[in-house]
Amino acid sequence: MSIKFFRIVQCAFWRMGSVTDDEVIRKRLLIDGDGAGDDRRINVLMKSFTKWCHSNFSPEEGFSQYQRMLTSLAQCEFSMGKTLLVYDMNLKEMENYEAIYADIERSITSAHEKIAECKKEIQRAKRIRKNRQEYDALARVIKQHPDRHETLKQLEALDRELQQLSHIKENVEDKLELRKKQFHVLLTTIQELQQTLENDEKMESDDTQESSMENGD
Amino acid sequence: MGPVELLHMSVFSQSFSPCGRFLAAGNNYGEIAVFSLSAALSPDASQASQKPILNFTAHDGPVFSLLSTDTHLLSAGNGEISAWSWAELIKKSTKAAWTRKPSYETSLEIPEINAMIINPKDNSLIVGGGDNNIHIMDMETGIFKSVLKGHTDYIHCLCFKEREEEILSGGEDGAVRIWGHTEIPLSHFQTCSGMASQECARPQFGKWISCLATDSDWMLCGGGPSLSLWHLRSMSPTSVFPLPGCQREAVFYQDLIMSVGEGPHVSHCLHGGTVKAQIPCTPSSLNTLALNLKNTEHRVMTVGGSSHQIDVFTNFSYKAFSLSF
Repeated sequence: MSIKFFRIVQCAFWRMGSVTDDEVIRKRLLIDGDGAGDDRRINVLMKSFTKWCHSNFSPEEGFSQYQRMLTSLAQCEFSMGKTLLVYDMNLKEMENYEAIYADIERSITSAHEKIAECKKEIQRAKRIRKNRQEYDALARVIKQHPDRHETLKQLEALDRELQQLSHIKENVEDKLELRKKQFHVLLTTIQELQQTLENDEKMESDDTQESSMENGD
Repeated sequence: MGPVELLHMSVFSQSFSPCGRFLAAGNNYGEIAVFSLSAALSPDASQASQKPILNFTAHDGPVFSLLSTDTHLLSAGNGEISAWSWAELIKKSTKAAWTRKPSYETSLEIPEINAMIINPKDNSLIVGGGDNNIHIMDMETGIFKSVLKGHTDYIHCLCFKEREEEILSGGEDGAVRIWGHTEIPLSHFQTCSGMASQECARPQFGKWISCLATDSDWMLCGGGPSLSLWHLRSMSPTSVFPLPGCQREAVFYQDLIMSVGEGPHVSHCLHGGTVKAQIPCTPSSLNTLALNLKNTEHRVMTVGGSSHQIDVFTNFSYKAFSLSF
């Protein structure tokens, strides 16, 4: 029965000029679902219709046969409607999956970008950490040295002390010079006085010698 | 190479190729092994990819120093410097491009060369070694231009400050010397001795300086004295790192300081003086640390020491695998 149906489909496709009849046949042979039931129903319908047309039934039998054919036709229509709905559903599912696929692609690329950004951030953070550590190391060394202000103050105090001491030194030197000069003056006066006294003595002794020589004459 | 030789092997030096895909390591038998990093780091790496792609004897004595220029690998052992072209090494040809010897005063003993660095500005090679002097060679002509004398004992390590074009050298005599522009040898230098500052000195180990690293204004030096961070402009030590053994190599990396030395671990320290982490590794004591920063794909750190295995760290916080000679 199904083979006959496939031959009908094949003829239809030949008329349409499609090349994939083998594919269609293979697929239909594989899908062993409702296809067999529908085929049988359609064939039974055709047979009973021709029988109904050609035979002489009594009106009640004819009517009941007619009702049976209508039910079978309704069943065929129902199954066709179901298949159409399933087909629509498949199409919609495909669209849905396409959308999800595109979404996932986008999130992958954005994750890649975020990873690259984070890597750059890490490099920056490492550089910053290195700079901070170098700064800390230098700061430790600098802290070991005394404060600049204090050192400056110490320097100033030392400067002032130095100046004071040099003042004192100048004063002392001046005094020394003055005393030296005074002593010099004193000593020269004494020496001159000594000279004058010696001269006087000498002159006196000369005088007495002259007077005694005059008296002796 | 028998098992006894493997047991006694020490790796003294390492260098990455200019493309960053190969690692050359030199050991105490005078051999240089070239490892392929791209093979070892690829997802389908096996035991065989952790062996060298090329292993050859380069010098009579141990290979103390390896250095890579843009095209060549320079290796130094007992008194002579050999250059090997990286392109040739990758093709497994072991013919040296050239071999030169600095002019030594006495021709009786041949002193070893402990450290080599390159001055990129005027394309010269600076070597320091056992004769207490620093020799400067012009890379293009191969002539040894000048000699810097001043150290009183042999030189362990050299370092180059790129901004001011100054050379820092540290030696067995405990002094770190800074050499300025060397048109006239010894034009001006300053000595800052690690022993002078009481915080760093460790008299039980000695006063020798075996590792130097510089990061423009800052300098790391260590060895006998504890590893310490100095601020160069003020010549003062700012932090002393409480690491127990003697450190043999230290580098600045981003905001960390990584150092290796005695003890089977790599120490990560912060500039402030704290030891952040100590990552264990296979050799019982480490001699050399190298960072592959030229290539972003194979950005690894490798350490080697008293073992025939070289540890590779892909994430610097743990050991990934080991390459072996």
